Amino acid sequence: MPRAKTRKEEPVEAGSDTVMEEAPTSHQPESRDDMSVDQDENDEAGEAEEDEIEEEEEVQRVRLLPGSTPTAASFEFLNEGHTLGNALRYIIMKNPDVEFCAYAIPHPSEAKMNVRIQTFEGTTAIEALEKGLRDVQDLCDVVSDKFIDAREKFVAGASS
Amino acid sequence: MDYDPMVMDDAEALGPVVKISQADSVRVKYELSNADIAFANSLRRVMLAEIPTIAIDLVEISENSSVLADEFIAHRMGLIPLNAEGVESLLYARECDCDGCCEHCSVKLLLHAKCEGDENMPVFARDLVPFGDRINQVVGTPVLSDALRQGSLILKLRPGQEIKLECIAKKGIAKEHAKWAPSAAIGFEYDPHNKLRHIDLWFETDAKTEWPPSDYAEWEEPPQEGEPFDYDAVPNRFYFNVETAGNLPPDTIVSEGIKVLQQKLAGLIHELAEDEGGDGMNGEYNGPRSPEYGTGADGFGGYTTPFGNGGNQSSWGGAGGTTPYGTTPYGAGQSQWS
Repeated sequence: MPRAKTRKEEPVEAGSDTVMEEAPTSHQPESRDDMSVDQDENDEAGEAEEDEIEEEEEVQRVRLLPGSTPTAASFEFLNEGHTLGNALRYIIMKNPDVEFCAYAIPHPSEAKMNVRIQTFEGTTAIEALEKGLRDVQDLCDVVSDKFIDAREKFVAGASS
Repeated sequence: MDYDPMVMDDAEALGPVVKISQADSVRVKYELSNADIAFANSLRRVMLAEIPTIAIDLVEISENSSVLADEFIAHRMGLIPLNAEGVESLLYARECDCDGCCEHCSVKLLLHAKCEGDENMPVFARDLVPFGDRINQVVGTPVLSDALRQGSLILKLRPGQEIKLECIAKKGIAKEHAKWAPSAAIGFEYDPHNKLRHIDLWFETDAKTEWPPSDYAEWEEPPQEGEPFDYDAVPNRFYFNVETAGNLPPDTIVSEGIKVLQQKLAGLIHELAEDEGGDGMNGEYNGPRSPEYGTGADGFGGYTTPFGNGGNQSSWGGAGGTTPYGTTPYGAGQSQWS
């Protein structure tokens, strides 16, 4: 409990502390007072909006990362991993309009997968990504059909 | 893929080929060739961890006088393979509208056994009986694939001991818990002669004599004596051995695996198509971004040093030394001081 008390008093001092303010935001102490003030200000107006955004965030699994341009973009996929990443990377790289494609899982304990696509002029990274997804789908179709064929052949061969 | 076939290797232009070498009720062995290792591995991973099946998730023990602890038995119940045929019609419990569980998202099973003879009594998975409303009569029944159709042994009871419990089986995937894995094991093998040197074989004197050849070694050309290493070679033939735990037939595991992969892709394509409208959250190129490399966050050229040359320029001439955060907590940050 005494800890919590000192925390509350701190932000006043921290505000005048130039050195701390210039630290990266991730290294700055969280000030709880600030947050409570924010909440008071947009009490009711914020609530409805927040709900909407939250819902949208839940379904949105692909995000364009900041700093992307039409022909050179990074995407962030939620809840995807090597299963999709590697196959997708390979197929996108097969596209002759694509200059570069790579994927990474930035941290193993976050269920996130990043894909970087850089294309030549004439197509966009988003189009290349979409084409890549469709191509993997087509590949799945082919393998699925071939497997069913092979199974039928095997069953026919075994029974005859 | 409608790419110019000239760009691709000749073999790849033919498209993938599947050949089944062995298949029965517990396993299917097949070869996938003219495919890429990335895709083959995706297929392996998806069959291993992302095919929905059904397994016991909640256990309510009302009587347990056996020698095993409640939580120990509960864990064993979870690992009992249950028939997952028709699991598609079952909902995930978290997506169901019901409160907790209902017949649309779960199957209830009852185990009640008491040893009344004078010999120890084994309790098998066959003694586990589904009850209550069910979505169909197959899904959730214990797998009895042994000759005596007993299923797996759960525990043994001494004379006079009793076990009574109720289980709730739910749909899930092996990514969450291995009890939902449809496959007991998936063999995945390529390059039996290790021509690509992806494997570094340990040996006492000679790896060739000490390591037994793979079953697939005769399927592929052995390396010639003194053959130079082919730097352009890539794996091309993949040997799968899909063995089921009993909850799904082995060939269904393969087809389901591909289906799950397709659903994953379809979901993403759908989402991308939706985003095309541009709702501001996505598809915006000039959204918030981290500071450009080489400029300080406040527009000043990073921090300056007392040595006068602008700080972010090293004596080597290049613009080294800036951090993405602009001013650092150390030294003279310009913006706040002046």
